[in-house]
Amino acid sequence: MAVVVTVVFLLIHLIPGDPVSVMLGPDASPAQIEATRRSLGLDRPVHQQLLGFYGRVLRGDLGQSYFLDRPVVTAIVERAEPTLMLMACALLVAVVIGVPSGIVAAAHRGSIWDRVLMIGSLLGVCVPGFWLSLNFIYLFAVRLGWLPAAGYASLFTDPVSALRYMVLPAVSLGFNQSALIARISRSCMLEALQQDYVRTARAKGLPDRAVTYVHAFRNALVPVVTVIGVTTAVLIGGAVVTEIVFNIPGLGRLVISAILRRDYPVVQGVVLVTAATYVFINLVVDVLYAFIDPRIRYD
Amino acid sequence: MARRTISLRLLTALAMSALLMFAAGPADAQKKGGVLRVGNLGEPPALDAHWTTASITETLTNHIYEGLYSLDRDKKPIPMLAESHTVSKDGLTYTFKLRQGVKFHNGKEMSSEDVVASLNRWGKQSNYGKSLFAQVAELRAVDRYTVEMKLKEKSAIVLISLAVPNNFGAIYPKEIAEKFAPEVKVTEYVGTGPFKLAEWKPDQYIRMVRFDDYKSRNEKPNGYGGGKTAWVDEIRWVPVPEVATRVAQVETGELDFADDLNLDAYDRLKASAGARPIVSKPYYWLVAVMNKKEGLMTNQKLRQAWQAAIDIEPIMKNVAGGKQEFYRMDSSLAPVEITAWHTKLAGLPWNERNRDKAKRLLQEAGYKKEPIRFMTTQEYKWMYDFALLSKQQLEDVGFNIDLQVVDWATLVKRRNNPKEYDVFTTGMGAFYDPSHHIYLTNSWPGWTNDEGILKVQAELARETDPKKRMALWEQQTRQFYEKVPVIRYGDLFGLRAARNTVKGFDESNERIRFYNVWLEK
Amino acid sequence: MTEPLTERQRWVRRLGRNGGVVTGAALLLLLVAAALLADAVSTHNPTRLTPANRLQPPSAEHYLGTDEFGRDVYSLVVHGSRVSLLVGLTTMLLTSAGGIVIGLAAGYSRRLDVPVMRCMDGLMAFPAILLAIALMAARGPGVWNVILALSVVYMPRTAMIIRSTVLSLRELDYIQAARALGRRDSAIALRHILPNCLGPLLVQGSFVFAYAILAEAILGFLGVGVPPYVPSWGNVIASGKNVIREAFWVSLFPGLALTVAGLSLNLLGDGLRDVLDPRLRVR
Repeated sequence: MAVVVTVVFLLIHLIPGDPVSVMLGPDASPAQIEATRRSLGLDRPVHQQLLGFYGRVLRGDLGQSYFLDRPVVTAIVERAEPTLMLMACALLVAVVIGVPSGIVAAAHRGSIWDRVLMIGSLLGVCVPGFWLSLNFIYLFAVRLGWLPAAGYASLFTDPVSALRYMVLPAVSLGFNQSALIARISRSCMLEALQQDYVRTARAKGLPDRAVTYVHAFRNALVPVVTVIGVTTAVLIGGAVVTEIVFNIPGLGRLVISAILRRDYPVVQGVVLVTAATYVFINLVVDVLYAFIDPRIRYD
Repeated sequence: MARRTISLRLLTALAMSALLMFAAGPADAQKKGGVLRVGNLGEPPALDAHWTTASITETLTNHIYEGLYSLDRDKKPIPMLAESHTVSKDGLTYTFKLRQGVKFHNGKEMSSEDVVASLNRWGKQSNYGKSLFAQVAELRAVDRYTVEMKLKEKSAIVLISLAVPNNFGAIYPKEIAEKFAPEVKVTEYVGTGPFKLAEWKPDQYIRMVRFDDYKSRNEKPNGYGGGKTAWVDEIRWVPVPEVATRVAQVETGELDFADDLNLDAYDRLKASAGARPIVSKPYYWLVAVMNKKEGLMTNQKLRQAWQAAIDIEPIMKNVAGGKQEFYRMDSSLAPVEITAWHTKLAGLPWNERNRDKAKRLLQEAGYKKEPIRFMTTQEYKWMYDFALLSKQQLEDVGFNIDLQVVDWATLVKRRNNPKEYDVFTTGMGAFYDPSHHIYLTNSWPGWTNDEGILKVQAELARETDPKKRMALWEQQTRQFYEKVPVIRYGDLFGLRAARNTVKGFDESNERIRFYNVWLEK
Repeated sequence: MTEPLTERQRWVRRLGRNGGVVTGAALLLLLVAAALLADAVSTHNPTRLTPANRLQPPSAEHYLGTDEFGRDVYSLVVHGSRVSLLVGLTTMLLTSAGGIVIGLAAGYSRRLDVPVMRCMDGLMAFPAILLAIALMAARGPGVWNVILALSVVYMPRTAMIIRSTVLSLRELDYIQAARALGRRDSAIALRHILPNCLGPLLVQGSFVFAYAILAEAILGFLGVGVPPYVPSWGNVIASGKNVIREAFWVSLFPGLALTVAGLSLNLLGDGLRDVLDPRLRVR
């Protein structure tokens, strides 16, 4: 994590462009700019700023946003809900579409369904998510008018609207991942179906369906869970573009505007939090993996 | 007996209905209530009117703050928080009488101490404030409702500077004006305006609610001034950076109003059932600003060559989405809507589209095809558009243009450094007074340092006779086209959209205001 | 009696029999041809602005219509393949080269392993796109900046793969034997380990190629990629998004091109993986 922190800090400060000039507007005089810089602490040498940064991070203080006049932590907390909601919905879409498709395809290997799925999932992996978003908006919002073009509502204040706003973003974000999950589910399932214990169960006379969906599935779950962990990490990145296209006020939009406004503390904060989340998710996946390891479960 | 009762009842019924008809008023009666959702470009850098010239800040702060003066329909100063003023015979002392009983959002009554503290702060930070205060010797409170301004020299710009809505002399409570140094943004927002700030969630919304104790002026609404009534309960400003999304949201009704739209959307807004397009004039006039401090463009002949080479109309037409209604070809430095300063001079070398002349000037300039660094941004689409189109036209004549597309933050930073560019794109809003034309000064990027131009600008600040001022202005315009400090293209209009339920919106104002606006169910 | 096939011929057979490899390679070749022959295949100069012709639908004159400046979309897409392929290929080569160096160093030398792995882990914790955007904002627009940014972003993954390959190979008997015989480590690395890394490298390379093309388009779409007046698929999609109602064709066709390019590389990568490393097969 130390590497992460340093890289983040150095990176951001390499970005040209002066936050103070942007904030003060085009006609500010050099004297005014200097005064404001001093008040924000931007005139100290870089290594001093880096050390200060480390210290503050350890204390849980991610600094004060230049632009937004509030602590970075507050800004992040305010914007976390939409991003989390988007990711959760996209993950849901990806899993709900991906896992069953993969399993069904594996169960009916070689059939027309299987072929359709393989081709579909291949396309699904290749179609650019942001392009899909544009087409969805054009088709479903502008032409057909079934769904709103953009925006966000909180689940806690207005659940119906919240869901309506989430459909297009979640589907376009989850689409690529659903294809990936489908393929992996299918191959894991196939592998599981060929294991000895499945043949044994079949020989024992257990009904086919039960064998497939219960036993093989349980054991195919392991790598699938791993993939879900990886997927979540990828979704973090994809969420940035999706938030911009659909105007969702989440962390992705926050970090892009911060980059454009040279709001260094915010960029640092968000990237740090994202990286930490990624590390955390990997940890969770590792734990889950140990938990559902078939050697422990199957009795 | 029965008959009389009936006719009495009938009379009463008729009387009642007559009364009701009067009470209801005309069909389009203003209605109180509702939340007006407005979509704009993004987050304001501050809600401190003194602090920045950014137009988003201008729009927002003019709902919660007021200044001593405001602009009427003809862009002339009219009193707002001031009741009246008198000028001494020698022209060096202005005495302002303030209105009484005007409350701030925190309940305090506005008085001279607030005005003095606010204007002193404004005079240190704002561009318009600084140019006015360069002529001010002292500003003091005479009594509770009287303020006196003593000038060092005669000035033509006192009222207009106090009336300009951009980066304006908003009156804050004395405690707030003194608490925050001029170069620091205020973070407490208390004004006298018809709306007060309720909540600011960055990147989500800014909520303003009606200020119930607002003391409106008695006159009818007039431009930015006159009487103001907050009909809607709340204005919710939603930042929607993607222009396509802003348009779509007005069409679907998620927003009631959207500003800064791309002109291609005009047709479908016209065809829309629930929304209508509004063309805003003026919006910006397009300029390419030349770096006259260092580098290739210090050469006047080169600048003149650029001016001679470009064919402005196809550029404007393309920027305007192919639509005639959205641009105007005009050489005047003040747009048509600023009637006091609009010029109609003939024989100016504007839009000559004379390629031979351009080539000749390039030769005379001794230009050897060195790359000219032309900076622009895509964040204001029209800037990028006219830059790209200019580049092609100029290269056809023999220029070598190095087009650098950066984001707005970088552009704003780099344009302060004479080593980093040769030309950059921007748009000018309407200046209400000749002395406000920042590109004619030496302190604004581009650094116009021509003695002749600077001399006339100084005279314009001092000369008070309107006829003489106009003559000076015309002289300045001619000089502008000869010395070419910046290249003037054409006037671009803007597109806004409103739902049909939004009523009372004054379409003649340059920037949007939502007092006197109500929502029809 | 027929001659026994050489090792190389056997490989070619195997590759040729894999449908994915063949289709993927064929599509890729098509793209490469388009890129190389761009000027010949285009109908118009893609950078010539003709404002009078803006937003024309597809026609005989302009196969895929025109954009908001009157530029021919078909020519833009054809020329856009150049940027995409340049970025994709160069990024792939750079990440492979960097990945080999880092992966070998980490896999082979126990001393370097831990610190290098920490750095790679640190870099991989960033969402790729975010890192790319930040790097682009730091360095400014330009093709080489995009390539650099994307190489930095994708190198850790390649390095990890090489490293794990090296680790697994290091324990093999013949490697141990060679060391026992006194062969220098660097010689061992070059003669024995490196060739075996080629397989995973090619597979990963195809995917990096695909990611890089997509990432370049995303950066262009967000406005932080190659300069906007350079024909690139991402740039054209971005310019089309504001006029999607009036002219859906501007965003549509470059997106299709992106899909096809991604398809070709994914097919290639999958096929190569099937052939070169059956253990990883997705059956």
